[in-house]
Amino acid sequence: MAGANLMGRPGFFVQEGSLNGMLGFIEALISGILTGSVYGLTAVGLTMIFGVMKVINFAHGSILMVGMFAAYWFITLTGLNPYLALLVVVPLLYVFGYYLQSLVIRPIFEAEADVREPITVIIVTTGIWYMLDNLALLLFGAEYRMVKTPISGKILEIADMYFQWPKVIGAGITLLVGLYLYWFLKHSRMGKAIRATSLDREAAMLMGIKQTKIYNIAFGLGCACCGVAACVLVTLYATYPTVGVAFDIKAFVIVVLGGLGSIPGAILGGIIIGVIETVGAQFMAATWTELLMYAVFLFVLIVKPSGLFGHKLDF
Amino acid sequence: MNLLQKQNPLHLLLTAAILVLLFLLPVIIQSSTMILILTLIIWAAYLTSCWNFVGGFAGVLPLGHSAFVGIGAYTSTVLFQTYGLSPWGGMVAGGLLAALVGVIIGIPTLKMRGAYFALATIAVGEGLRVLVENVKQVGPFKINGPSGLLIELSESSFTNFQFVSKGPYYYIILVMLLLVLLLTYLMMNSKIGYYLAAGGEEPEAAEALGIKVSRYKLIAMAISCFLTALGGTFYAQMMLYFYPKSIFGLDLSYEIAFIALIGGRGSILGPVLGAMLLKPVSEITRIYLGDILPGMHLIIFGLVLIVVMRYQPKGLIVPARRLFNRLVGKSSEPSGKNPEATIVTTEVE
Amino acid sequence: MPFLEVNNVTKRFGGLTAVNEVAMRVEQREIIGVIGPNGAGKTTLFNCIAGAFSPTSGSIRFQGRELAGKKPYQICQAGVTRTFQVVKPFASKSVLYNTMVGAFAKTNHLHEAEQRALEILKKLDLYDKKDVISRSLTLPERKRLELARALATEPTLLLLDEVMAGLRPSEVTEMLPTIRRINEAGVTIIIVEHIMQAIMSLSDRIYVINFGKKIAEGNPQDVVADPEVIKAYLGDEYVATQH
Repeated sequence: MAGANLMGRPGFFVQEGSLNGMLGFIEALISGILTGSVYGLTAVGLTMIFGVMKVINFAHGSILMVGMFAAYWFITLTGLNPYLALLVVVPLLYVFGYYLQSLVIRPIFEAEADVREPITVIIVTTGIWYMLDNLALLLFGAEYRMVKTPISGKILEIADMYFQWPKVIGAGITLLVGLYLYWFLKHSRMGKAIRATSLDREAAMLMGIKQTKIYNIAFGLGCACCGVAACVLVTLYATYPTVGVAFDIKAFVIVVLGGLGSIPGAILGGIIIGVIETVGAQFMAATWTELLMYAVFLFVLIVKPSGLFGHKLDF
Repeated sequence: MNLLQKQNPLHLLLTAAILVLLFLLPVIIQSSTMILILTLIIWAAYLTSCWNFVGGFAGVLPLGHSAFVGIGAYTSTVLFQTYGLSPWGGMVAGGLLAALVGVIIGIPTLKMRGAYFALATIAVGEGLRVLVENVKQVGPFKINGPSGLLIELSESSFTNFQFVSKGPYYYIILVMLLLVLLLTYLMMNSKIGYYLAAGGEEPEAAEALGIKVSRYKLIAMAISCFLTALGGTFYAQMMLYFYPKSIFGLDLSYEIAFIALIGGRGSILGPVLGAMLLKPVSEITRIYLGDILPGMHLIIFGLVLIVVMRYQPKGLIVPARRLFNRLVGKSSEPSGKNPEATIVTTEVE
Repeated sequence: MPFLEVNNVTKRFGGLTAVNEVAMRVEQREIIGVIGPNGAGKTTLFNCIAGAFSPTSGSIRFQGRELAGKKPYQICQAGVTRTFQVVKPFASKSVLYNTMVGAFAKTNHLHEAEQRALEILKKLDLYDKKDVISRSLTLPERKRLELARALATEPTLLLLDEVMAGLRPSEVTEMLPTIRRINEAGVTIIIVEHIMQAIMSLSDRIYVINFGKKIAEGNPQDVVADPEVIKAYLGDEYVATQH
């Protein structure tokens, strides 16, 4: 009945309940929205990096994985409230991202500055993904690790519908992050500088905004967002070296769906995917929903590649 | 052939010597395991050379090519097990199916920006894997879902594409590789090759010169998918067992792409060079370090990829060729007619 | 049958009308100049003829065939080839390779394409540089390569988009006879240009575009003295000083 303490692998939702009929549908819908916002949270960093640097970071999933491991170790070793991990993981990932960009990605990016499409950056970020995932495998082994927190199994009951507390909190955090980023980009000085650079690199440079620094910061921020997402995910899913892969692909789908570069698009896209997954699972097996997701993805790529909120792209 | 006469005679002599050596290897090396490893290396070189048609010629980044390997393997095996059709015939059938699927996918996606195309190919590759994993039977064809298909080895038979010893497999894939390399060479020096190079480098200018770029990219895609599928059938017949994750996997797709990229996509020998360098390293690392340090070979892969992309984005074939020219004493000025010159151009100087 | 007829072509981008009911007529073997102040719409008009844009309304008939709305590669196959203002050579390839790409428009054979390309390179004085990688060429050389590549497609009508842009005055003077020779060989030319010296010297007739509309047409001397043209370029005050 009530969702057991089952932490599923990513791609498998957790049965919240087995109500039938209308109530069951609504429960699935809301559950999908909650799950979806968590997915959206994972995609926010990716879309932001693209929005500013026009680069799709294929190492996104691995960075998420790094964050999850960091959160896992923090919680397991200190036994503190899982959400306190945010204080450690987020800055850690920011620094990690900042230096990853400035040391590894930037030289390649600059070498390709005149090319129409920075494919080499894609290749390199893929290489980073490979390295990180396998490094984690080497260091931590392949077992699934579950975080034990006081929140883990708690269920929220509303009108006979059951939802996992961690998911509810996760959705809440997504909302907060979304609002914060909105405020940050719109009103803070750094945020405006970032937006200026993303709109017109050269004009921004002429205004005295140092492009390299902005890219480093933007990348760092993107990874920091991964850090937030990682802390949320760790309360819901198991942590293991290749956990990033499934989220990675899902994040790509979400980001294209929502429109590359759009943060509200990422969150909305995430919700759509989450709903498709959860509601779809009412009618078909979980692996078929994965296929459905790919089908939706291809459909969007073909029909409206700019996504829901993205700009019209030139081909 | 007109083009052949323009080659440096020393070049030709060296090539002939290498070919003779390659053909004699299984006779010289008696160890069956070694022959298997060599065969796998050549198989990798074959697949990456096929990938080169799209990833090199057409200038895009396909990251889901294992899909076509899988289509080849499944088609020939299923036809053999259901109708007794010789895997040679099944191979061609698989190739045609793969070409069809490739063209269908290519029509909407080849117009996309690089990153989008890459994502689309990943989606197709993974989608196909999930699809096959979930299907046990399609009409009269048994597909077996995640367990994969097993081919019973009865006896050495050419018609059934089965051999007890590994030697014949080596020769078959070697011939296949050489044919693909020849095809690559011919294509590079033909209208299609010139048009693809133009379309990849400056699509707008190419269109203004009467080139319908998308059409030629699709041709390259069809050729690539057809040939890749042949490699899938080969694998099935040699290993006699495969399952969705092994043959449709993202790992295989990435490996193919990485090897080509590290070696040098867009050149004839780049992918082969990549395979020759990386496959042995990866196999050896896997065999000797696999237990103590799992996944180490992939870490090395990733590291090599990053380093090469940073310093030699066009691939290792560039310094390799320079070294070779210096040894042979030619001037190292690349000319536009040199068929070994890279025809893909992500400008990086 | 008129050689090229641009009939009341209009091109709108959202709320902006870049080209407004422009009509043009080109006879075979002419050199037609198209001038106008910056932003006048002449490049947009050019791009409509070349197929980069599709006119919002109007028609463009070339030797009886409708070109409006066709894709650039189709327009080239119909015999109309364009060059680019910002030259786009296939930078990693040699001069000969570049030209051969153009030559393949009319043949499927490598050898034939190579022969044709070599002939054209000789005529454009680029033969000595045939194996040079085009990235290493000087700007005037790149412009000649752009011309060579276009000529290799054996066009009946050649569209030149500010082919003099970026050249020094001496280089412009050197380019003029080249273009004249191309025309004498039988190629009709439409040239969009800012550099008056070139346009005046080359054109048989000139069209003047401003704010998307044709404001004058005729032979060079008449056009240059036309008060509307002077007003467009220099403003009202200068009209009185000319007659």
